[in-house]
Amino acid sequence: MISLINVVKKYEVNENESVVALDKINLEIKEGQVVVLRGSSGSGKSTILSLIAALSKPTSGEVLVEQERASKLPDNFASEYRRHYIGFIFQKYNLIPTLSVEENIILPLVPMNLSEDEIQAKLQRVLRMFSIEHKSKQLVKNLSGGEQQRVAIARANVNNPKIILADEPTANLDEKLSLSFIEIIKELKEEGKTIIIATHDPLFFDLDIVDVEIEIYQGKII
Amino acid sequence: MRNKINFYIVEYAINSLLRQKYKTIFISSVFTMLVFLLSSLFFITNSIKYELEQTLEALPEITVQKIKAGRHYDIDVSVIDEILDIHGVSSAMPRVWGYYYFENAGVNFSLVGIDEYEEQYKKSFVDVASKLDFTKPSMIVGEGVRKVMDKNYYKEYFNFIKPDGSLMRVDISATFKAQSELESNDVIVMSKESAREIFDISAQKATDIVVRVANLNEVATVASKIKLLYPDTRVITKDDLKISYQNIFDYKSGIFLALFSVSLFTFFIIIYDRVSGLSSEQKREIGILKAVGWRVDDVLREKFYEGFIVSIFSYLFGITLAFTFVYILKAPLLQNIFIGYSQLKTSFTLPFVFDIQTLALIFFLSVPIYIAAIIIPSWRSATLEADEVIR
Repeated sequence: MISLINVVKKYEVNENESVVALDKINLEIKEGQVVVLRGSSGSGKSTILSLIAALSKPTSGEVLVEQERASKLPDNFASEYRRHYIGFIFQKYNLIPTLSVEENIILPLVPMNLSEDEIQAKLQRVLRMFSIEHKSKQLVKNLSGGEQQRVAIARANVNNPKIILADEPTANLDEKLSLSFIEIIKELKEEGKTIIIATHDPLFFDLDIVDVEIEIYQGKII
Repeated sequence: MRNKINFYIVEYAINSLLRQKYKTIFISSVFTMLVFLLSSLFFITNSIKYELEQTLEALPEITVQKIKAGRHYDIDVSVIDEILDIHGVSSAMPRVWGYYYFENAGVNFSLVGIDEYEEQYKKSFVDVASKLDFTKPSMIVGEGVRKVMDKNYYKEYFNFIKPDGSLMRVDISATFKAQSELESNDVIVMSKESAREIFDISAQKATDIVVRVANLNEVATVASKIKLLYPDTRVITKDDLKISYQNIFDYKSGIFLALFSVSLFTFFIIIYDRVSGLSSEQKREIGILKAVGWRVDDVLREKFYEGFIVSIFSYLFGITLAFTFVYILKAPLLQNIFIGYSQLKTSFTLPFVFDIQTLALIFFLSVPIYIAAIIIPSWRSATLEADEVIR
């Protein structure tokens, strides 16, 4: 269960000026749900994902994830929380271009000091799951947009997190690749993962796999 | 668990350095050069200091020289009896020595005469006296002298030109090595008789007189008594000589200090450049690592390994290069800056002096500073909100 309680997020522009990105947001997402956050650019969708992932902290209010106060976690605990609970698929993938596919995918596992066998098992699982085994040794910078997205999804899933957050996942993909992404979301939903997708792509609207659609406008749920 | 070395982070650090191989090579090269330059200078200084200490150690407590109008002249040996009467003097010996200029090679030899039955005023001469054949003109030469003579085809003997223009043949009977190369390198030891002939010094004269004092605390008092007895002499104590040598050495050290400052200045410019900030790419990478679950200390540990690998490799490589340069290649160019004071042009090998303090000083002047310069900006980025860094 993910809860946002009276969440306000302001970004400081300068000493006297700030922009309200989220204004008293209250939201509940149940385990295993697929939730689509709809809204135009700058509406605050990505900020909600960022707060759930504890990548940033709310100005006020609280974010609870699995009874954990994600919004109050100290920095190091926030990192461990992300490592175990969250798989984040960024809009621009945020891969390290000079690393290979498998090096990018195992990044979340590196600080865990697992055995080589454990790492390989987790890596092979996601390589197979997202059909990128044949590209595993290639540098990410040499991959197409669709392939890079698969690597990003594989990285988000390598630690088998309960929650998948996807920020504008189809923004850089053509329709065919976008449909293939939706197939992946279906598979992840079948695995029981909670999936939150921030998007303004109409492909996601009224999809049968989507449990909840939330419209965000100027930092508010409408 | 967290205290165990995480070899995946070490591997990541190595890969990270390899990914930026040109930058890594450049920084490692500059770092190695600086360590090399600094350690070469330190090694040379240490070696020469060691030589200097050995040389000064071998000096007599007091040397008495005859002075006329400020110039050094031969002294009457008859003054020895009066000097021996001074309370506290344990021995006084006439020395016959001088510089002999070998024109063909353009070098000066320090020619020293010793007596078979006399107590030797230098420890290193005791062994030489036992080997020298006093029955004929022969000599034992320092290694540098030997090389110069060999080069000029004087392999078994050498012809000295006396002040009257005639030649004097002296056989080379052996080569000797004292504790200090500066002391022995340009030295020729022969009988006093031969030395007197070469310098045209009569039996009643000596180049100077060396005085030993039983109680070292009385050296200054004895020296002043000698000066009172013979106002036309210059009375030089070991301490005077130490100061004089030290002054020359300090002057050379000044040049060293200038080189040292330039090296450090360059190094700190690199450090400043590193501390002043990370590139946007590097910041983004830190943001990504944090976003996928790396803790701040994981990021810093990775950066520490990066800095440690570059700096320790450069440090060890620089030190090895400096050892090779100074002790195997004999420090071409740099050595000349320092050993000019020895007045010799014969080849000179720097003695190997292993000083752990020097190595530690160079280590602490470079490695931790560089690692800190890597970690500080990374820490700044790693402690920002990951979201802010990625955006």
